[in-house]
Parts: sequence; C-alpha cells; structure tokens
Amino acid sequence: MKSVEYPSRYAVRKRYAQRVAFWLFRFFSLFIAFILFAILGFIIYKGAGVLSWDFLTKAPSDGMTSGGIFPAIVGTLCLMAGSAVVAFPIGIMSGIYMSEFASKGWVVKFIRLMTNNLSGVPSIVFGLFGMALFVKYLNFGDSILAGSLTLGMLSLPLVIRTTEEALKDIPDSMREGSLALGASKLQTIWRVILPMGMPRIITGLILSLGRVSGETAPILFTCAAYFFPQLPTSIFDQCMALPYHLYVLSTSGTDMAAQQPIAYGTALVLIVIILIINLLSGALRRYFENRLK
Amino acid sequence: MKKFFEAIVRGVLTCSGFVTSLVILLIIGFLFTEGAGLFNEPMVEEGYVLALNKENDVSSLTAEQIKAVFDEDIVNWKEIGGRDMPITTFRLEDVERYFTVEELGSEYEHVGMCIASLIARSPGMIAFVPQSMLPADAEVRYIDDSTISLSEVFAGTEWFPTATPAPLFGIVPLLAGTLWVSLFAILFALPFGLSVAVYMSEVASERMRSVLKPVIELLNGIPSVVYGFFGLIVIVPLLQQGFNLPVGESGLAGSIVLAIMALPTMITVAEDAMRSCPRSLREASLALGATRWQTICKVVIPSSMSGITSGIVLGIGRAVGETMAVLMVTGNAAIIPTSIVEPLRTIPATIAAELGEAPAGGAHYQALFLLGVILFFITLVINMSVEYISSRNKYKLR
Amino acid sequence: MNRVLLSILCGVCGAALMSAYAQRIKGSDTLLPLTQELSESYLKRNPASEIVVTGGGTGVGLASLLENTTDIAMASRRVKFGEKMKFAKAGFDMIEEVVAYDALAVVVNPENPVNELTREQLEGIFRGKITNWKEVGGEDLRIVVYSRETSSGTYEFFKESVLHNKNYMSGVLSMPATGAVIQSVRQTKGAIGYIGLAYLNPYVKALAVSYDGGRRYVLPSVKNASDGTYPIVRPLYYYYDVEKAAMVQPFVSFIKSADGQCMVEKQGFVPVRNEDVTIK
Repeated sequence: MKSVEYPSRYAVRKRYAQRVAFWLFRFFSLFIAFILFAILGFIIYKGAGVLSWDFLTKAPSDGMTSGGIFPAIVGTLCLMAGSAVVAFPIGIMSGIYMSEFASKGWVVKFIRLMTNNLSGVPSIVFGLFGMALFVKYLNFGDSILAGSLTLGMLSLPLVIRTTEEALKDIPDSMREGSLALGASKLQTIWRVILPMGMPRIITGLILSLGRVSGETAPILFTCAAYFFPQLPTSIFDQCMALPYHLYVLSTSGTDMAAQQPIAYGTALVLIVIILIINLLSGALRRYFENRLK
Repeated sequence: MKKFFEAIVRGVLTCSGFVTSLVILLIIGFLFTEGAGLFNEPMVEEGYVLALNKENDVSSLTAEQIKAVFDEDIVNWKEIGGRDMPITTFRLEDVERYFTVEELGSEYEHVGMCIASLIARSPGMIAFVPQSMLPADAEVRYIDDSTISLSEVFAGTEWFPTATPAPLFGIVPLLAGTLWVSLFAILFALPFGLSVAVYMSEVASERMRSVLKPVIELLNGIPSVVYGFFGLIVIVPLLQQGFNLPVGESGLAGSIVLAIMALPTMITVAEDAMRSCPRSLREASLALGATRWQTICKVVIPSSMSGITSGIVLGIGRAVGETMAVLMVTGNAAIIPTSIVEPLRTIPATIAAELGEAPAGGAHYQALFLLGVILFFITLVINMSVEYISSRNKYKLR
Repeated sequence: MNRVLLSILCGVCGAALMSAYAQRIKGSDTLLPLTQELSESYLKRNPASEIVVTGGGTGVGLASLLENTTDIAMASRRVKFGEKMKFAKAGFDMIEEVVAYDALAVVVNPENPVNELTREQLEGIFRGKITNWKEVGGEDLRIVVYSRETSSGTYEFFKESVLHNKNYMSGVLSMPATGAVIQSVRQTKGAIGYIGLAYLNPYVKALAVSYDGGRRYVLPSVKNASDGTYPIVRPLYYYYDVEKAAMVQPFVSFIKSADGQCMVEKQGFVPVRNEDVTIK
C-alpha cells in the first residue's frame, strides 16, 4: 500500500511546498513595493502641501523657516550640468575605446576591473578625494567647479559601462558592412556605431544624472553652501544643493518645527526630479526600442 | 593628413580608456599621502609640551595614559610607573588660579617664568603648556614626545580626535561599528533580496515584472539623504516606541535603512544571474518531474550561486560605504557595539561629520583621510572578491 | 592630458578668485542662523553687495580663513594657541570681533522630573560616572547623553566650562548639529543634551544649573545670561584679516549697530551692549 501511496503524497507535498514558497516570494516582493510606496507616499503626502510656485522660485528666508528652495534647485541643476560636462565626453570616449579599440585580453580586463572598482568606491571617499585634489591641491576652493569635477568622477563608471554595453550589442555585421564599403574605422564609429548605440547611451547618461542629483557626501566638502540666496554667477562660486539642503533642514537650524514642512517639500522636489529622470529614461528606452522594431 | 588625424583620435580614445585607472591612482595617491601623514604627527598637540618636575622619573606616557591623567582617572604617579605621589594637572587656563595678575605681568610677559617656577616647586605636577612659552633654561623635564604609532591607531579602542593634550585615534570602534551595522543590514536584506530575485526571474508574470522592475530601479534611485530623512522622521521614533528602547538612534535603525538601500543592488545582480541560467538545465529538471519550486531550489539557485553571491557582496559594499543615511540615524557613539539596539558610529559617518571641522593638515584631518583609505580598501577587497567569484563562474560554465 | 587641462583650469581659477566680489563667511554652526538672518536684512539694505554664508564649524571656518577661501570666519570659541601661531606664520594679522554672547542650556525631555543639576552632577553625567537618573533625584531610567560632534565650538566650550576640560565618555551620542540634538531629546525620555540658548523651544526642558555646589540654581535666559548669573555663557567671534577690513567692515559694523544687536537678541542670543562689559 505504502509504496503506491508514497508518490502521490509526495506529489501533494511538493505542490504544497511550491505554493507556500511562491506565496512567500509574492508577499516579499509586494512588501518591497510597499516600502517604496510608503516612502514616496509619506513624502508626497507631507510635502505636497508646501509645494507652491513661491516655494520653487524664492530663496529661503527668516533663518530657513520660510521662503523657498530656488537656489538649491538651481545649484543642483548646475552640478548636474557640470558633472555631465566632465563625465560624458570622457566616459563616452572611454566606452568607445573599450568596445571598439581595446584588444581583447589583459588591457580590457584591467580597465574593466578598474572601472568596476571605481564604481564601488563609496561616495564619501570621492568627497575626501575631491577635497584633497580639487579644493586644496588645485586650489579651486569650495566651488561648483570642484563639486562638478568630483561628481563627474563619481558618475564616470556608470557612463563608461552603459556606453560600452550599448556599443557591444551592435552586431558585427554593421561594422563589417561599413568597413567593406571602404569607410575607415573612425568613420564607421562616427557614422554607424554611435548613431545606433545612441539611444541606450542617452538612457544611461540620464540615469547617471539622476545619481548625481541625489549625492550629498561628495559635495559636502567640495561645493555645498549652507546659505547662498543669490544664484551662482561663475563656476568658482559655491552653491546650495537640494540633498545638502535637506540634510541641513533635518539636522540643524533654530526652529525645527517650522523647518520640517520645508524639509518635506525639499525631499519631495528631490524625489520628483529623480522620478522624472527615471520615467524619462524608461520612456526613451521604450521609444527607441519600438522604433528599432 | 587624414591618417594623422585618425592617429590623434585613436590616441585620445586610448587615453580616455585609462581614465578610470588614473582616477583610482589619484584617489590612492591623495588619500595615502594625507592619511600616512598621521604617523608623523606628534602625540601631543603640536607646539605644546608636557612638562614635569625635575624629580619625577616618568619619561614616557602613551596617549591613553595622558588622557586618563588629565581626566583624573589616574591620580597617582605610581599607577603609571612613577613614584608614589599624587598627580596635579596643569593647563594654561589654570594659570590665574595660581598667580595674580601682577605676578604674570601686564602683558603676560612673565607667564613662562611663573609656570616654570610652579612646576619646579610642585613635585607631582604635569603641565600642558606651549613649548615656546617656557624659558629655555627652565628647571623642568619633558615627557618624550613620540609620534603617533601604528598600534595606537589600528588597535586603539577609543576615538577622541580632539582630546587634549593627546588625541586618541583608535579606529577599532569605528571599524566594528561599520561592519556590525552592515552585517545586520545584510541579514535583514537577505531573505527579501533573494525572494524578490527568485520571484522576478522565475515566478512572476511578465506584467508583474514590468511593475517590479521600475520599483526596484526607483528604490535604487532615491538619494541616500532622503532615506536618512525618512529614517530619522519615521523609523527612529517607530523603533523607539515599538520596542520601547532607551535610544531610538541605534544600529538597528541604521541597518534597516541600509537594508532597504542595499536591496536593489542585490536583487538586480542576483536576478540577472538566475535569468542567465541556461534553459536546458531548467527543462531537464522539469522533464524529470520536478516542480518549478524544486527546479529553482535544486537547479537554478545552485547553478547561479556565484552571481547571487556577487549580489550579496555588492550589497555589503553598498552598506559599508553608505554615508548620509547612517550619519542621520545611528547616533554616532564611538563605542565598540555589543548589541544592535545601541548607538554606533561608522567610518563614513565619522568622515562626513568631522572633516568639516578638522583643521586642515592637522592630525585629526589626516586621521580622517586614513579612515578614507581604510574604507577604500574595504570596498576594493569587496569588489575584487566579486570579480573573483564571477570569473570562477564563467570558468565553470565552460 | 587631463593633468594639463587641470593645470590650465587651475590658472584660470587663480585669476577668478582674485576678482571674486562676494563676501564669504564661514564657520561655526552656532553663529550660522544668526549670521544668515543678519546677512538677509543687510542685503535688503545693500542690494548691491553679496554675502555667502556657510557652516561647517569653527575649525573649518578658521582653516578656510588661513587658506583664503573665506573672508570672515565665524567662531564659537576663541582661536586656539596653535591656530594663532599658524596665522602668525602665514603673515595674517587677525582682527577679533565679539558679535554676540551665547548661553548654553542643558536640556532634558519635558517628561523628566529633574529640574536642576549642579556642575559636578553634569560632569558626572557627561563623563559616564552617573548613568541613571535616580542618582540625581529622578526616576529609575537610564541616562542617554547627547553631545555635538567632536570639534564643534559648542562641544569644546561645554567641555571646558562644565567638564573642566576632561573628556566626555566615549559612549555619548554625537549629533551632527544642534537641531538633531533637540529632535532626539524630544523623542527620548532619558535624554540629556546641551544646546545654544537661541535654539531653546518648548519641546525640550532647560535645566537650572548651579556652579556653586547647589546653593543657587539659575535657569538659562537672555536676562540671566547678560547679568552674569547664568554660568555657561561664551562669547561668539568673527575673525578676519586686517587686509580685508575695508571689505568686511560695513557688515560687521551693521551687526554691532543697535539694529543688528536687536536682531541678535531676537534670535535668542545675548547682545553685546558695550565692548567693555564682559560677562564672566
């Protein structure tokens, strides 16, 4: 009897185990989505009331208890632009080199290892480095320039990797076709490879901007100003930045109760920027994918 | 001409290919030169000396002993190898307790003489005074001023970077705090990370995946300072009330926040690894009558183990290096943690909190760079091990 | 290639720094809100001028002054002997201006029944010798000690005045800024911390402090601080180089004017009535 019954009971048990396990997985996944929506919801709920045109376009006043966060928004945009200027050209060139020129073997391995290592370096170490090199050694002082350079270094690995991967995925037949028509290697890259890889490169670049916009630790000692109500006029000015402003609002100041709504508002603006960037890169990716089909 | 141009472009591209290596070299160079300077710094604050009475035969003290003496935790010279007499400490600010304004002179020109005579007549006194102030022929002995030693830093259990006369730069509590909070963060994140990775790669429908993928991306994109803010405003009070803790800012709050932050990295890498598990392996298992769950457990997970491990290790890397969120929620008490509900202090938080206030070029400043070097090497080791793990896997599949 | 580029940028930068016009003020977080407020109203009166205020702490302010990355250093403590020597070596001739006084209030959670402590008790608490509130007449509750980051002027002054230069115990929770101390003391029942008088608010309870062994306890207030009965009071300074005097003078004299000092008082600091009156 038993030997007949055993497989079916076993079958039941294994189905049961599967059902439990899958439900557990589903639960955990939903829980993670819940965490995200809890954080977003909380900040949107608390911050939405503060958001107004004035909040977005005025400088902070009365010891940060009223007014807006305009200089911080502008500062963050400046830093994003600055880091883009630093990281994009070098990063894209480096990516092209990795995918098109570097002879397979130890050179590529070595560079990839270094790029991976660089992407693992904690942001505070970039802050230390930026302070030692740009602020002190090159004597830029605390400035948008020093901040942008530091943030640029930080986003380099991401730019390089996305560029490399985008170009790698282009079939070799394209390269061969172009070369067969008598184009030089550079012409091939410039006319064929880059245009084809552009959509994915752009998506990667936008994502790296998102990363830059939220970083606090690297600009702590290289750029961020606690209070600078005017807009920066040159790259040697300091500037306010949203993440640092949020940090300041939530840890210091005279009147925490009056500051908290502004802190929520700042967090919300920061999150909205990140959201826009994420949606934009997603939409772009989908748009280009459809067009390719 | 065209050839020449091409050569230039090629050269520029090659140069840019090595830019990350250059940055890493620069990081190592700058961090090291600043950090290594710490060991050339004198133990006692620069420009100052510790002066003793001529009769006193104690000639050297460690930084910890100096701190204990000036904190009046050590009150007799025999505790630190001297003769049996009580210790009297003297700082410059105490000068008005011993001398009148007339004695010191209208422009304090006699201060040095006064202090020297005071030390000469009080046998148990230890005085912390600027060197330039004491006259050259003063009848006093000085404590030998050695430089800060390696063992004091790497085995020291106290972090008092601004203590006078002798700052203490023991990194053990900071290192322990960093590892402790990261360990718990990974323990919290592990069940979630693995289940979500398995779910997304094996179980979820295409629609569910298209919902979860952006969720994970967004979790990854939220700035750390926002996590810190959320932790400070929501998680800390919640834990404090929920578990009735004496302190809300604790390693626990830190590791929960870190767990959330480490999740996206873990999930993405582990999921990629599982998805790249060959279809033939899965089909073979299913064909043998295994359920999907059995296939996942016995085939998919073991075969993508190295990728999953990489994900976990990268998650640890993220947790170890995280700065702002930890700074805001862990309470930053520089003690070696004994439980997770106590406050602790991590290396990145220490750098972020103290660098702004440390006088540039001083011992404290250099100590913080040394912390940066240590942090850099921890993450370097983590990255290298990820590299090693994934290269081993490629070999196996071939 | 990058190095060449950077060194070119460096040269450009040097030239640009020379022509920088904005007054840069940097340093103590204690003075930060006050200076910010003052600069706001100063800018309203003098729209042509530019002022950048950054925090970071007294140490960083003075260090930046030395590196010429700021024009005025805000300091919540007097410049240290070692720093003075550095300035002298670099050829600086520093001017010191007391712009306000600040009293430090010792605060606890409002639910805490303890209302007053002597200096000796405070020393015991912050040095970890007293760990339970019942030892100082309160409930049976662990004392959670909040402090500021190690090199802030507030930390140093509290150490000097209350702990008589001894070190805090290593288990104190260091908060990056005063706001965080308030936040935590408000949330934590057994908490004790210290904050500038200006930051005092109803969410935390200030303790009366006695420096004469318990004969007379005094609550912190602007009045008690300016008449000298409250003991934990310190001057707050601006430091600047003699060469920059012409540039920064208008702002500094605005602070010292009646209007400026009125704002000082409104912010919860103790005004400097007269240069000769020092609070001891």
